[in-house]
Amino acid sequence: MDPFATLGMPANFDVDLSVVEKTHRELSRALHPDRYVASGASERRAALGKAVEVNEAWRIVRDPIRRAEALLELRGVEVGETAEPKADPEFLMEMLEQREALADARQARDLPGVRRLAALVEVRSRDAEREMAAGFAGGGPVAPLVAKLAELRFYRRFLDEVSAIEDELAA
Amino acid sequence: MNLLEIFDPKAPPRPIGIDLGTTNSLVAYVSGERPIAIANCDLEVLVPSVVSYLPSGEIVVGRRAVELASEHPRDTIVSVKRFMGRGADDPETRRLGPYEFIQPAPGASNTVRFKVEGRGAVTPVEVSAEILRMLKAQAEDELRNVGGAVITVPAYFDDAQRQATKDAARLAGLEVLRLINEPTAAALAYGLEKKKSGTFVVYDLGGGTFDVTTLVLDDGVFQVRSTGGDSQLGGDDMDRAIAQELLLKLGFDQGRQTPQLVRLVLDESRKAKHALTTLDFVDAEVPGQRLVRITRSRFEDLIRPLLERTGAACRRALKDAGLTPKNIDGVILVGGATRVPAVRKYVAQLFEKEPLSDIDPDQVVALGAAVQADLLAGQGQSEDILLLDVIPLSLGIEVGGGVVDKILPRNSTIPCSARSTYTTQKDNQTGFEIHVAQGEREMVADNRSLARFTLKGIPPMPAGMARLEVTFQVDADGLLGVRAKEVTTGIEQTVSVKPSYGLDDSTVEQMLLEALDHGEDDLTRRRLAENRVEASRILVATRKGLDADADLLEEGERALIEEACAKLDEAGRGDDPSRIHARIAALDDATKAFAGRRMNRAIARAIEGKKVDTIEKSVEHAKGIEEAHAR
Repeated sequence: MDPFATLGMPANFDVDLSVVEKTHRELSRALHPDRYVASGASERRAALGKAVEVNEAWRIVRDPIRRAEALLELRGVEVGETAEPKADPEFLMEMLEQREALADARQARDLPGVRRLAALVEVRSRDAEREMAAGFAGGGPVAPLVAKLAELRFYRRFLDEVSAIEDELAA
Repeated sequence: MNLLEIFDPKAPPRPIGIDLGTTNSLVAYVSGERPIAIANCDLEVLVPSVVSYLPSGEIVVGRRAVELASEHPRDTIVSVKRFMGRGADDPETRRLGPYEFIQPAPGASNTVRFKVEGRGAVTPVEVSAEILRMLKAQAEDELRNVGGAVITVPAYFDDAQRQATKDAARLAGLEVLRLINEPTAAALAYGLEKKKSGTFVVYDLGGGTFDVTTLVLDDGVFQVRSTGGDSQLGGDDMDRAIAQELLLKLGFDQGRQTPQLVRLVLDESRKAKHALTTLDFVDAEVPGQRLVRITRSRFEDLIRPLLERTGAACRRALKDAGLTPKNIDGVILVGGATRVPAVRKYVAQLFEKEPLSDIDPDQVVALGAAVQADLLAGQGQSEDILLLDVIPLSLGIEVGGGVVDKILPRNSTIPCSARSTYTTQKDNQTGFEIHVAQGEREMVADNRSLARFTLKGIPPMPAGMARLEVTFQVDADGLLGVRAKEVTTGIEQTVSVKPSYGLDDSTVEQMLLEALDHGEDDLTRRRLAENRVEASRILVATRKGLDADADLLEEGERALIEEACAKLDEAGRGDDPSRIHARIAALDDATKAFAGRRMNRAIARAIEGKKVDTIEKSVEHAKGIEEAHAR
């Protein structure tokens, strides 16, 4: 499935989510099962199938990681953590240190410290997204994009961990 | 109630909305433009969600059952909603009250069964069905003929709990048009009355559950952005906090607390909570004990930890939706517990604005459900209003090391589906166990287990060779179906997730038969009536479609469809339900391709952002989109 085609938009990394959300909403208005309660089964099924597809496309496009994966797949690159090359050892080392700092802050129940670490990673994550947008728009080689995607995954996991710790420390 | 209305046996069926609450339940319908709650003959709108089973076999529901609770604590089921969809071995089940449970026989389904007078054993589904029956009767008194119902459930309800709710409705003889989440229903009630657009938060502190939802209202579409909450937190916990204080001050330690005393103290605590909404202090009077003064500020200290818990859930919901308090245009209050001034103050602080409370927080959910029922039954009269809901918790399966692989992340818009591929870990592995879990935690043990099944018959292959594709599909009610397929051989297995503590279809059918006076006969008659309604509905819809998109028909297609219509029409005038059923299927077959083409046109129009354009243009566009959407 090409999620960009499903939503009738060009396949770019740089997207205006508020516009896509509007398109998704219009498509939902046309396809949502609530619109077909009175219809026959064939039409209900057809609408349901399309509604599911549209929601899947929206789920992919609104998430930078899934969006990047979809774009790479469109270029014939196999994605997924097992298919991708290993990340740069220097980067891995650095992330490992960040994770340790996070674990220490958690141990010390240092919520401001946790948030400081999160803010740093958020900045890097945004930078990576910007570089990715430029890379996809430029139409250059895909290898650096695959590496950026791996970076984004690390940042995401780090930030997920942060929100689990925030919940834990707030409770 | 209008006494001048004349009884009309052919009154058209009216759709209703039901809030099946932990503490109270109520039913509403749309009269003209406005949803209103239906009162019983005592002019009460709220029916306490309490069911009492008497030795005579009589079943008492509501206010009268509450009066029986202290005398018959074991046979009076209070807050049954907390048991819905739970297993008999669930530790929560044991914690929840004075009831006696029947141990499931080894190998039997793990459903909770209360041991009660007059009946032997009843399940939470049956108890809930009694409440729904009462509400249905109340609605029938007012409306004569009740059509389908929209029933609300907490956004936080998991799959088993939703399924149990649907089963209860079936058992009560209600056609469920849709299950919707309570917060969304509340927004619907507000959105319609105020015609606002913007970003809203629904803060729902009920008797037993807390829900928070962020949603966007735009041009008639209500889109849920995120949901969160705590299924074990509510106004009852405030009562409990006061009760603990009272027991402490009266000098009753754990050992001296009898169930009767605890119930008396809880009742008194609830009264104190209500009084403290307007008073600065109250002197609580437990029968036979000295007065204990509770000030409002002490009360506020007691419930502070509860409020903090709601705050944590709110912050997470905002974060999930990518929002800050500044983005929020309004906060809607739902649930009786939001009448407590400290709650309002806390919410105002949290979201940096005064919450909305124009609609009675006890009724707003049922009113919204009535609005949705009216929309669903009204067949496009209010075409501009639509509810887009999400799944509240992530869904995934267990992979190596007890880790969950999330297939559908929380807050995905429904209906939705997603697929993930796995492989075998051992050489010559011929079965693959699939363990479906719901929740956010990394380890499967920390999440809710929904179902387990095994895909069997995979031919022996080296480890890593098999390609196992698992597909999750969630329908518009939020119910999950799972399909597993081994790609290289095509071996496939499908389960609709109905966990071991649910009731299977044949059990529900059996219960229905027992509930009806004349068993089989009634069931056949009911099926005939249902099939006839379905047939005429489909005929109308099909003809509408033929008129609207005649240019999409291929040669000879119209004749085939019209023939199938004529045959269905003829069967509808007979009295054989299965014949009608077969002809519905035949018509369905005949219209399949046409329906697909109509859908593509609908998509093309939606993407263009206009409803009707010159036909030429949209046909042309439909072709481009068709390529993208054809699979």
